[in-house]
Amino acid sequence: MLKLDKLTRRFGDNLAVSDANLTIPDGQMVGIIGRSGAGKSTLLRLLNRLIDPSDGQILFGDNDIARLKGKELRAWRSDCAMIFQQFNLVGRLDVVTNVLTGRLHDMPAWRTVAQVFTPRERAFAIQALDRLGMAHTALQRAETLSGGQQQRVAIARALAQEPKILLADEPIASLDPMNAKVVMDALRDINRQDGITVICNLHTLDTARSYCDRIVGMQDGRIVFDGTPDLLTNAMAREIYGAEAEEAFNEAATSTAIPTSEPVPARVPA
Amino acid sequence: MRMASIDTVDAGQIAAVRATHPRAFRTGLDEVRKWAPWVIAIAYVIGSLIYFDVHLLFQASERALRLLRAMVVWEDMANWQYANIYKGIAQTLAMAFLGTLLGTIGSLFVGFLAAKNVMPIRIVRQMVRRFLDVLRGIDQLVWGLVFVRAVGLGPLAGVLAIFISDLGTLSKLYSEAIENIDRKQVEGVRATGAGPFAVIRYGYLPQVLPVFISQSLYFWESNTRSATILGIVGAGGIGMILIERFRAQLYDQVFFVVLNVLVLIFAIDWLSKRIRLWAIGEKSH
Amino acid sequence: MTDIPMRGGSAGASGDAPFDAVSTFERHRAELKASKRVWNMLTLGAFTIALGLSIWISNFYPERLAEGVPRIFEYFATILPDLQWDQLFEGRDAQGNAVPGSITFWYTDFWTYVELLLETILMAITATLLGAAVAFVLSFPAAANLAPNGWAYWFSRRFLEFCRGVPEILLALVFVFAIGIGPLAGVLAIAIHTGGALGKLFAEVNENASDRPVEGITAVGGSWTERMLYGVVPQVMPNFFSYAMLRFEINVRASSIIGFVGAGGIGAELNRVISFYSDDRVLAVLILVILMVTIIDLISEDIRHRFIGKENF
Repeated sequence: MLKLDKLTRRFGDNLAVSDANLTIPDGQMVGIIGRSGAGKSTLLRLLNRLIDPSDGQILFGDNDIARLKGKELRAWRSDCAMIFQQFNLVGRLDVVTNVLTGRLHDMPAWRTVAQVFTPRERAFAIQALDRLGMAHTALQRAETLSGGQQQRVAIARALAQEPKILLADEPIASLDPMNAKVVMDALRDINRQDGITVICNLHTLDTARSYCDRIVGMQDGRIVFDGTPDLLTNAMAREIYGAEAEEAFNEAATSTAIPTSEPVPARVPA
Repeated sequence: MRMASIDTVDAGQIAAVRATHPRAFRTGLDEVRKWAPWVIAIAYVIGSLIYFDVHLLFQASERALRLLRAMVVWEDMANWQYANIYKGIAQTLAMAFLGTLLGTIGSLFVGFLAAKNVMPIRIVRQMVRRFLDVLRGIDQLVWGLVFVRAVGLGPLAGVLAIFISDLGTLSKLYSEAIENIDRKQVEGVRATGAGPFAVIRYGYLPQVLPVFISQSLYFWESNTRSATILGIVGAGGIGMILIERFRAQLYDQVFFVVLNVLVLIFAIDWLSKRIRLWAIGEKSH
Repeated sequence: MTDIPMRGGSAGASGDAPFDAVSTFERHRAELKASKRVWNMLTLGAFTIALGLSIWISNFYPERLAEGVPRIFEYFATILPDLQWDQLFEGRDAQGNAVPGSITFWYTDFWTYVELLLETILMAITATLLGAAVAFVLSFPAAANLAPNGWAYWFSRRFLEFCRGVPEILLALVFVFAIGIGPLAGVLAIAIHTGGALGKLFAEVNENASDRPVEGITAVGGSWTERMLYGVVPQVMPNFFSYAMLRFEINVRASSIIGFVGAGGIGAELNRVISFYSDDRVLAVLILVILMVTIIDLISEDIRHRFIGKENF
């Protein structure tokens, strides 16, 4: 069980995440929605500790994740895999080595430096790739793949970590609708089959509604909605998305295109 | 399909994956290909160091200690002839300045002779270019030594060495700049009935002058650096003071001079950066 | 209000404002010209003073030049070989003596030179490899975006600055004293300088590397070393390689002169023949050095192009 207690992150005077309280039981698939700049991405990065919280606690079991340092911090990151909007693969390495980097944490130092992977690790990486239907690209350079293929490799890398939690930061925002569906299906499959908790930032409401057990709405760094998809009324969603509502409701329009400029807010934020 | 833990991947599964994706597993040849460059490089470095008598390095403690001691213990500082040392530094700066200036003036002429669009006679152009290749092919320090033999010890040899090696490099850069100019402006001047020198003065120079100036400034900086060591072969400047003190085994003074040289080099780097920034900044408006 | 004042009579009618603008413009122009003239005068003055001082300090007087320049030509005449057509390709006679006027006579010490040239190249390779290894290790802490902490950044930066700030030949002088005459002193001197010069270039390459792969490796729980090895190194390796090859070309030149202070290679021979003899041996060695440098440049350029070609495929 993952529990956030008064989690806060400041950037200068700006509160990116403010006083977030959330309890996520194991095996849940959670969608976090909100307009751009609402703090969704910061929240996910706080969970993986890519950025440090200014205040508050992140409890996983009895561990306070927010206080981890050094070796324990790296162990947490390897337990808590992350998928990025821009995939963040190592473009010039081949696909199977990219997936094998998911094993780095459990390898002795000399093997990581010498880039020596055991046959068992290689077989495991190929199995992970195969599950995403990408095993045939194992020896290609990652940068030669399309965006959708790269995201599937990134998910295979996450699987190679044998994570307890899978975080996905706008995993489909750079993909076309078909690839977006493949990626979201894969995430749901991992959640259902393996019982891994999936926490996913989504810009589009429809995707969140159709894939997630639970939806968390964020606005200006605060959690303003938390409940099952059927509790999320259209009025509530409009409130969360504000001026970006029309865009967010129309999945076909947004999941294919990367959002360009921030529209002028139609109302004064509370 | 549920993902099993890596611990449950048994030999059978590995064999199955190996059968379907054989190239994802490394063969002996792959390993050789991966490690061979490293093994060769390391073996080469170790072998060559042994060939170069690396054991000397481990027998050097006594003399190295003497050097280290001289770094901190400075004796008889009242009689160090500071005037001599700072005259050497002034000489270094003067050599670099004069050498670069002469090199720039010389390259102004030679550069045009080596440019395709100014010198139409192929034979002359090629001869000039090969001559410049030779000037560049010989290191500045070698030129210094040669001129010391020709005109004797002292800064004159240093100035000539800088001049000759700059002539080789700057002329080439200048001729490239000349070849890259806009032809229309030259034709405009030629259309007025101007003679060949007037064409160069009004058609070419205004276009290439900014490039020439920035390149010469850059060379002035690098020459000040290299002038500090020209004295090692007797071609004047601080290097001569340095090598004299070294031969006389006055290592504390050597360190003092080296410190001065380092300060000079860092100062020149800084100053030249400022001057180029200032020159470029002025050009941009 | 009229949009466009008519030429002629309307100037007075449109009021004082445009008139003021013209006068302001004229005044500005005059000020600008005056300040520019002052700047030009100042620059010219500074230049003249620098020129005068330089001539005075370095004794660069016309009479010395007039005296010296003819001697330069005399000197160059003495180092030309006295080759004769009819004996040009004569070998050695039964006693092993070469005939004066033949190439064999000119290049009596040919094999000594070749041995020294080989030593020069070996020195350059060893120094480049050692220097590149140091540069590789330090280029990561010396990159502003990758440094693990401020202390490591500051220390590695200063260290690299020092290594490339000291001229090779000065370092060689010190090493020759500390460990004795021989190529080892030259190798160490060039390696240290190479470490500094390449380290700075490598660090700049690292600073331009994309941080996405690095973030990816961070997120799987990678340590700092793993982030560098897996996230950065694959991106920067081709650039590192080209820079190292270019440095190798520079180092071949450096190792051919570092022998001037007794630090091995052909330089010692070059120094000897120029300082003690003024005859055709000077030119013999010089020609070989130029040939070696040219051939190495061509080979290195070919390797670089092949490597880049392969990388782009």
